[in-house]
Amino acid sequence: MAQVVLRNVGKVYDRKVRAVEGFNLDIRDGEFVVFVGPSGCGKSTTLRMIAGLEDITEGTVDIGGRVVNHVHPKDRDIAMVFQNYALYPHMTVFKNLAFGLMLRKMPKEEIRRRVGEAARLLGIEQLLERKPKALSGGQRQRVALGRAIVREPQVFLFDEPLSNLDAKLRVVTRTELKNLHQRLRTTTIYVTHDQEEAMTLGDRIVVMSNGRIQQVDTPLNVYRRPVNRFVAAFLGSPPMNFVEGTIAREGQRPVFVGGDWLRLALPADQPGVAADLARHEGRPLVLGFRPNAMSEHAAGKFAPPGGGNALRLATTVVEPLGDKIDVSCQTPAGQRLIARIDARDNFPAGQTIEFFLDPEHVHVFEPGEFGPNILRPPA
Amino acid sequence: MIGSARKRLLIALAFLLPNLLGFLVFTAGPVLFSLAMSFTDWALTKHNSFSSTPVRFVGIENYARLLWGDESGFFWNYFGNTVYLMIGIPIGIAGSLGLALLLNAKSSPAGRGSKAWGVGVALAVTAISCFGVWMLTTPGPAPTELTAVKSGEIGLTDLTVFQVDRARSNAAVLAMAVLGAVVAGGMAFGSAFFRTLFYLPSLLAGVAMFLLWKTLYRPRGGLINAGLEPLLNWITHATKQTPEWVWKAGAAGVFGLVAMLAGLTVVNGVRNLGSGVAGAAALFGRVAWAATLLAAGWGVAIVLWRVHGWAADGLKPPDWLIDPTYAKPALIVMGVWCGVGGGNMLLYLAGLSNVPPELYEAASIDGASGWQRFKHVTWPQLAPTTFFIVIMSTIGGLQGGFEQAMVMTGGAAETRVLAFYLYERAFKGTFELGLASAIAWVMFAMIFAMTIVNFRLGSQMTND
Amino acid sequence: MPEQPAQPRTTIVGEGRAGLPISRVAVFAGLTLFGVTAAVPFVWQILMSLATLTDVDLLTQTGFPPTLLPSNYGLVFERVPFAKYFFNSFFVAGWVTILQVITCAMAAYAFSRVQWPGREKVFLLYLGTLMIPGVVLMVPNFAVVLGLGMFNSYWGLIIPGAFSAFGTFMLRQFMLTIPTSLDEAAAIDGAGHWRIFTEVVLPLARPGVIVLAIFCFLGNYNSFFWPLILVKDVNLRTLPLGLLVFDSSYGRETPLIMAASLMAMVPPVVIFLLLNRYLVKGIQLGAVKG
Repeated sequence: MAQVVLRNVGKVYDRKVRAVEGFNLDIRDGEFVVFVGPSGCGKSTTLRMIAGLEDITEGTVDIGGRVVNHVHPKDRDIAMVFQNYALYPHMTVFKNLAFGLMLRKMPKEEIRRRVGEAARLLGIEQLLERKPKALSGGQRQRVALGRAIVREPQVFLFDEPLSNLDAKLRVVTRTELKNLHQRLRTTTIYVTHDQEEAMTLGDRIVVMSNGRIQQVDTPLNVYRRPVNRFVAAFLGSPPMNFVEGTIAREGQRPVFVGGDWLRLALPADQPGVAADLARHEGRPLVLGFRPNAMSEHAAGKFAPPGGGNALRLATTVVEPLGDKIDVSCQTPAGQRLIARIDARDNFPAGQTIEFFLDPEHVHVFEPGEFGPNILRPPA
Repeated sequence: MIGSARKRLLIALAFLLPNLLGFLVFTAGPVLFSLAMSFTDWALTKHNSFSSTPVRFVGIENYARLLWGDESGFFWNYFGNTVYLMIGIPIGIAGSLGLALLLNAKSSPAGRGSKAWGVGVALAVTAISCFGVWMLTTPGPAPTELTAVKSGEIGLTDLTVFQVDRARSNAAVLAMAVLGAVVAGGMAFGSAFFRTLFYLPSLLAGVAMFLLWKTLYRPRGGLINAGLEPLLNWITHATKQTPEWVWKAGAAGVFGLVAMLAGLTVVNGVRNLGSGVAGAAALFGRVAWAATLLAAGWGVAIVLWRVHGWAADGLKPPDWLIDPTYAKPALIVMGVWCGVGGGNMLLYLAGLSNVPPELYEAASIDGASGWQRFKHVTWPQLAPTTFFIVIMSTIGGLQGGFEQAMVMTGGAAETRVLAFYLYERAFKGTFELGLASAIAWVMFAMIFAMTIVNFRLGSQMTND
Repeated sequence: MPEQPAQPRTTIVGEGRAGLPISRVAVFAGLTLFGVTAAVPFVWQILMSLATLTDVDLLTQTGFPPTLLPSNYGLVFERVPFAKYFFNSFFVAGWVTILQVITCAMAAYAFSRVQWPGREKVFLLYLGTLMIPGVVLMVPNFAVVLGLGMFNSYWGLIIPGAFSAFGTFMLRQFMLTIPTSLDEAAAIDGAGHWRIFTEVVLPLARPGVIVLAIFCFLGNYNSFFWPLILVKDVNLRTLPLGLLVFDSSYGRETPLIMAASLMAMVPPVVIFLLLNRYLVKGIQLGAVKG
């Protein structure tokens, strides 16, 4: 077991292309950390630098109190599960699991014991004599996992290990992975581009973009208090709605004004926030709210405090999900918004409907892709 | 990327070293060495341990000798022979494509290979041929003339009517046995059987195979002329039955038709002329096609025109390898037979299996006939394969022909190719290594030029 | 005979199975016709090799030798050191194959699995020489072999063939199809480069290695030009040389020539039938993807 500390880690390819920049992170012993971000954001590169599969251009990587920048991967006491599993196709499952132990000159009985144990843990005992070709996708995934477990390393590294599975299996395996981590309590670093996977698995998640860390926090904190518009947009499905506008003042209350169809009184009970909002008065800003912050007028879940948070929107498409429905709407300015509301039969598409927007669940960002959150910055 | 750059370089060098050493000594080094040699007068007879004359730098003298000097007669003659023999290349490629299409097509039993059926037939055929062989080898009334020949009473040429019936029935049984075996194999193992059978000649192409073909080409007692003789006799007979003007009219008709077709092709090409290099390449393709058509038509017309005259004194099969006129065609026929089912056919088969079946389905739904599907789906999809094959065959063709010349004709003048020329100059007589190197580099220049031309034309056509 | 993997075939209603079987019969007939054309010379060769000296000239008239003489095959070995030719061919082709496969596989590993400065440049040099036709190399290689004192020896027959830019190129292409994550997994598992090479990459490149080995063996078994200029000693003659000499000295004895050439054809056929599957795949892989 070990902690992993990254200090100012950076990666530059061929002296030209910068992949990772100024990466600082302390991973506690036994923690499950997920790197998440769109493809090309540098998350895999960072993982590979920790594994020793890429040179570290700048900064230091420290595993268990030892700087490993120039240590061979085999000597870093890590194990890695690859996206394509990287099972040796010409070896049986047993040999695949045992290969790393054999190379470490471990006694035969010890190897057999460890492989047996891992196989039991993963429920692949009956597959040990098969070759990877004869396994299903889920079984291969387990074998890849087993290969990491038998080594009993200080750190597990996962590089998108679930992305080759079908949707159902992915959800099941996700739960098993979490269960496994709770049992083994090994420090784990997990890379994925799937925000749902990140949210469900991580003790903390690291949201990355363009080679930089955008935010590090627990899943719920990141979801509730995204540091900027990028993080807000990346997490959550369907994605957050954004409306451009400005802040005006109505008496004591700051109000977000978007065109002539949106006037939303903002909650400004926190002291710092009110001042911040005041500073941005009159400047172009972006209002962000998740689809489930909207509700249907008729449902009458909460009464509008000032009556100003009602939106009249033209609905275009209705997608039933079961107990919820996703309604695509069009603002008078022609922008598309999505509302996720309680399901009911015969919801009219192609009409203008009145929605409520809950001011307790909106964010205000400065303009631009990485505009900071000024209404609900991370604590 | 594990480890530092320096360490990785050392590891790579360790893995590379054995090969790199050989590569430098036997490939990269010799290339430069050869280029240098081609500008010297190095000859083993002049420069050896007994003579101290230094090797002289002679500039482009070797090249001058080859291209317009004292060696130019040989050089251009052998170059002509090489190009003549390359006629076999397009024929072979077309044949390979045809065989691949046949192998890929659905055939009643060959596609799947219905084992039980096939094995039954195979057993029956084997039994029949065994019976036939037994009949043939059983001592019976000995053919009298054969005994006479064996005892030396009469010569081979004195043979008149030699047990015709017996011989014919032997040949028939033999032919039936071969045919039966092929059919049975095809039924039992499907197209894999035919693929293997077609591939055998190219697998075995070499001295042993050429020796076999040398005997097949024998004017007397060779299998090929034995097969041609009855055919030619029949043609002679048929020719004599019809008046001469019918043949001449036929010749004129064939040539007229072909000329019209060729003309139409070119005219259409000019009318739909595209822009730029692509357009030029397309037009060039059409012109080449028209020229080929015209040449083939001309050949057929000439034969038809003259056949009556020839038939007057009876048509005789040629003396093949011995006759200077027929030696090269003989080599071409053998080359096509050897190469047609070889690597090119396998490449085409691979190309065919890579054509997405949806394309055929879409074309069928769009109403394309079999020929249209070939023209608009198969052929364009095979363009990269054809391109590759043409380039490789051209390179091979310009260098090839040495073994054939050496084995089949003992290096008779009319079959000598550029590779033979190089051998003769470098490793025989005066051992003129300098001159031979120059020959090699001229060949390289030609190959290079041909490849560039192929690339230019080919990349235009594959991009269409 | 191993079947090729089933190709997807389009079945269109109204054509093929449901339609007229005539086209299918015609295809089979065409295949049979060409099959017979390919087979007949070999059948004829067998007949000639079994005939007596007189019968062989009359074979086109009799259609079958009246007396069969299997002893012709034994006679070949009495007339010339045919066993020695066989041995030489196997010895030379075998050693060239072993050495070439080893050197090419190692070089291919360096070109495909190790990142080192200058790799692309050196590889480009290899690629460049692929364009140079073999005839260009004949003369200087002869001079090099002469200079190294390998003229008229096994060394001279084997060593120049022990390295091949083409083989390196082919195996490199093959190794590039093996996912790099396997090496990475092996490296994390604790394997060094030699172990990754022998235990991961080489086993996975086996089809490519086998194809190279077959091509290399068959090519050298049939090789004619190089032994012709290099060998002066009777005891060093390989099969093609031996056959040529046999033909020029005993050319009139057709049955013996045919028996000898038939025997020379047996090993390639056996190799082909055994490894057919790899060869067909290899030709398609090596050329189309390369």
